[in-house]
This record gives sequence, C-alpha cells and structure tokens, in this order.
Amino acid sequence: MPGSPLVSRRLWISVLIVPPLAFVALFVVYPIISAFAYAFFHWNGLARGEFVGFANFYKVLFTQPYADWTVNAFLHNVWVFFALMVLQNGLGFLLAYCLWRELPGAAFHRISVFLPVVLSTIIVGFLWKLFLHPLFGVVNISFRGLGLGGLAQPWLGQESTALWSLIIANAWHMVGFPTLVFLAGMQRIPGEILDAVRMETESEWTKITKIVWPLVAPSATVVFTLLFVGSFNWFEIPYVMVGLEGSPHGATDVLGLYFYRTAFGNMSGSGQDFGAGSALAVLIFVFIALVAGVITFKLRAREIQI
Amino acid sequence: MARMTLSGIKKNFKSVDVLHGIDLEISDREFVVFVGPSGCGKSTLLRLIAGLDTISAGEFHLDDRRMNDVAPSRRGIAMVFQSYALYPHMDVYENMAFGARLMGLEKDEVEKRIDEASKMLRLDPLLKRKPRELSGGQRQRVAIGRALVRKPKVLLLDEPLSNLDAALRSDVRLEIARLHREIGGTTIYVTHDQVEAMTLADRIVVMNNGKVEQFGSPRELYERPANTFVATFIGSPRMSLLDVERNGNHLALAGSGAVSTSRLPHSGERDLVIGVRPDAMTVSTDKDTEGFKGSVVYTEYLGENTYVYVRLGDGTLVGIRSSASVDLPPDTPVVITVASEQIHYFSRATRERLAA
Repeated sequence: MPGSPLVSRRLWISVLIVPPLAFVALFVVYPIISAFAYAFFHWNGLARGEFVGFANFYKVLFTQPYADWTVNAFLHNVWVFFALMVLQNGLGFLLAYCLWRELPGAAFHRISVFLPVVLSTIIVGFLWKLFLHPLFGVVNISFRGLGLGGLAQPWLGQESTALWSLIIANAWHMVGFPTLVFLAGMQRIPGEILDAVRMETESEWTKITKIVWPLVAPSATVVFTLLFVGSFNWFEIPYVMVGLEGSPHGATDVLGLYFYRTAFGNMSGSGQDFGAGSALAVLIFVFIALVAGVITFKLRAREIQI
Repeated sequence: MARMTLSGIKKNFKSVDVLHGIDLEISDREFVVFVGPSGCGKSTLLRLIAGLDTISAGEFHLDDRRMNDVAPSRRGIAMVFQSYALYPHMDVYENMAFGARLMGLEKDEVEKRIDEASKMLRLDPLLKRKPRELSGGQRQRVAIGRALVRKPKVLLLDEPLSNLDAALRSDVRLEIARLHREIGGTTIYVTHDQVEAMTLADRIVVMNNGKVEQFGSPRELYERPANTFVATFIGSPRMSLLDVERNGNHLALAGSGAVSTSRLPHSGERDLVIGVRPDAMTVSTDKDTEGFKGSVVYTEYLGENTYVYVRLGDGTLVGIRSSASVDLPPDTPVVITVASEQIHYFSRATRERLAA
C-alpha cells in the first residue's frame, strides 16, 4: 500500500544503503573482479590482447626471472609476518600488560605508545629514513656519541640490515594498535579473577600464561588476522624507505612492490605487464583470503567467553 | 592451628582512611562473621587478611608468624569471592586443580583432594563443565571447592550469598555451616546481612566507619549491645531508640509523658537513650494505661504477628510486635508500655551502653 509505514521504512532503508553499496561495488568489487579478468589476457601496454588462459600465472610462477623474483618477494613477506608477530604483537602484549598493571607513568605511556599509529605511513617512512641515514641519521649519531661507532651501519644500504630496518620502522609505527586491543581485552577481565589468581600464585609468568593470555585470546584473533593481511599487503613503508626496486639487490623486495613494478613498470625502464601484474594480484589476494580465513576460523574456535 | 591476631590495623587509600585501627583476636576453628553497612571497611579488612591489599599500619599475625609482607599465596589462606571468580577458560576440575598444582602437590594428591572436595560439595557430575554452563549455586560450590582443595588454615568468604536467589540462600547457608564443622579450620565470613551473621557465627565483628563497634557472640550482641549502633544493627525489625530524661525513677519522653521503671542505670546521668526491641513493648488503646503516648502511623500484618508503628510525641517512630488480631487504623491514639527488665540504657553523650 502506498504511503504505509512499511513502504516508507523500506524506502528509507534503500536510500541509506544504496549509495554506499554502489560506491563499494564501483570502487572495490568491480576492480577486484576486473583484475581477475585481466589476469587471463595478454596486454600490450594498456591495450587488451587475446585471451591466454593461465599463461600469465604460469609466467610469474614458473618462468625465469619471474619465478625467482616471486619466491624472493614471498619469502620476504613471510619473514616480515613472523618478525612483526614477535616484535609488534609480542611487544604490544607486554606493553599492554605493563599499562594495564598501572606501572608508574602509565597514563603518559598509554598515549605515547599509540601516538605513532595516528601518523601517516608516508611520514613514518620518511622519518625513519632520516633516522637511519648513514651519516646524519640520529641512530648512527647516537651510536657514535656513545662510543659505539662500530655499531653504526648504512642500515638501508646493505642487504644484511635493510629488511630488518624496515621491520623495526613498521613495528615502531604500529605497535600501539595491538597494545590498545590487548589492553582493552585485559581490562575486560574481572578484577576478582585476578585476585583469585593472586591467592594461588605470586608468579607473574603463571598469571600471564595461564590466565591473562587465554582470556585475551579473542582480541588476539583480530590482531593476528590484521597483521597477516598487513604483512602480505606490505607496501608503503618499503616504497617510501627503499623505493620500488626493493633495493639493495632485491633484499627488501616484497609482493606489494613486485606487483606494482610488474603491473605499472618503473623508472628504470622495464615495461609494464598488466597481465603478469594482475596474475600476481590475484595470487596474493587468493593466498591472503585463504590463510586469513583459516586463521580466523581456527582462532575463533578457541575464543572464550568471560 | 590457625590463631589470628590483628593489632592496630589501619588502611588508607591515598588520603582516605578506611580502617582506623582494628584489634581482633580470633581463635582456632572459630567461625567469625564481619558484619556492617556497606562502606564500613569489612571487605577491606578481609582483603588485608588475604594479602590482596597492603596493610598501612599495624600488625597481622597468623600462628605467631607476622603476615604483613607475606604474599597472598603463601599465607595458607584461601578466599571465596562474591562473584565466585572462577577461571572461565577452565572446567570445574581444572579450576580446582590449578591452585593445588601450583602448591607443588603430587599428581595423586591433587586428584585425591579434588575427589574429596567434589564429594563433599556434590560436584562429581559437573567436573567437566565450564563455569558458564553452571548455575549460580553450582558456581558457588565450585568456588568453595577450589578454596578447600588447598587445605587452607583460614577460609575467607566475601558475601558468598549475595548473588544467589532467596530460595538458595538458606540452603547454602546451612551448607557453609556444615562445611565449617567438617573441615575444622578458621572461617571468616563477610556479609551485610545480620541474619546470616547471627545464624552462622561463633562470634560476630560489627563494624562501622572503619572501626570495630563490638566483637562477641550473637547472644552477647543481641542481649548486651555495646552501643546504639550495634543495638539497632542487630535484630530485625530494628530496636527503637528513645531520647529520655531521667527523673527519679521516671523516664520522661518529650511530648509523650513519663513511665516509671524499677531498673535504672548505675551511673547517675540524666540524659539517656533507651533501646527497646519490638517484642519488649505492648500497645494499648486504654488512655489510662501508664506509658508513652503516641498515635498509630501504620500496621504491618505478617500472619503470625502484626507490627504496629507508632509516632511518639518527639517524632520518633517505634515498631511494636503485637498479636495478629490487632488491627488499628492510622491516627488511633495509643499508649505504649515498656517492659522494664528489657530496656537497654545508653548514654546520650557517648552512645555507649550503661550497666543497669
């Protein structure tokens, strides 16, 4: 019936939902689907050529030099994921625990831990590039000032330290996020449960491993999944700090940079290959979706209701 | 053995003094109840005994060992919390085993103790359940079981009945009394409910404003309250307090006349407070009866009895237990007679009991 409350309610819901839905469809769903499609065609610059089936996938996975590049970048992403898991999430958990126990200065530290998260990744990358400058960077100057000049390194310029430097910059930037999520999880634990544990043990270690950690596991699901997705989509920090080539000598190359180079080309002149790029994008997407799905599913299963 | 001595215990949180010097001597195997209105410091005192908060000043000894700086887990004290505080990620068995294992007991011993406790508390069918799958009463029993498995010298219970529905309360109360007899340790129980205190305790500590008002058996507290606070706190409905002036052997109440009494306090104070329980008064509509005059405000019919509430000349409201047949409409003028031998005398100045 026209004008009935039900119809006007539906109308309202449509008015509110359709614009964002259209937006997401146009700018998220459509590009993903078209990237899927692009991956199956041959490309000449921006002109689509003939349908080639799985040839692009075969190219990036099994023909040289693509295959080596793909493996190299993928292994770096794996490294980044595990290193950040320990550095960023591990440190985040410890920081959260310290903040939660209200150690002296907790209010100040709560803010300062989270502050870098608010900064743009581009700024953080630029800032750390300055910090790590071999001659004028605050890191090397500090080492020299402390009489530890031997420890001063060209951090971003040598293969042995470049990736770790990026990882540390990223951990510095994002450690506030897991800290905040873990802290929120800890604050949900009822005070009497902690008193009950104190009646049974004085060991901080037992408290953390047997009580606090299991009870903040629901927060861990979110943090782990987001870290996984973030690690395999890693782009801004390496792009700003070491450039598209993943220099030196591919020591910092990750899937994000590699995909970008392949699809859009780079300044050193290698041509753009939209087909291979799209194939890489699809592979990255499928890998992330599958693993993130498994992580979420597995971790959800052991979540505990307080 | 578990003899506890608290001397001069004080606690302050920043600038707020919560306990102002508590002295208590608790014997082995005693069931002691801390009772008082909320905010009186009874839970704080319990937490100090447990070691969950630090003592600001004073000494706490358990069997001659100074406990002030001993970690909670090393005091030989177990506690049952108001919310039960079971570990949500562990089943009932694990909840009980956790603390026992941390004490360094052998596997067999842990199993034996859990077996004993679960028999005593009828937890056998629940051992594999998680806390969220248990009812309030069951959680309560698990919390007690978890404490018992550690075989503590002292068992602390913090308002253990407050989260249970009324029907369960009296059951669990009896259960706790039985457990105390069977286990034979010292038990300290915190509540704001004076009925719980009266029914369970060997001795009761009545607390108010961070001080102990009186420490004694339920009978002592009821029959010889040390001051007006204890007098009104113990007993339900409350004892009525009347400001009277002593005139020879008469007690005069402003606006309500005077009554003669055969029993007066030994001290010669003129300004007195008398305390009279509801069953020590009778209400009469005969104007010639000797007693305090007042008028009925309302009556409560409780089946067995009727409580008549009367406003006296100085504005005090008193409750009187009468036979169920009494039915007095509001504003009826009445006379209240008081049984002389059941009057409690207190000093108006100090509110302390005066011997009579």
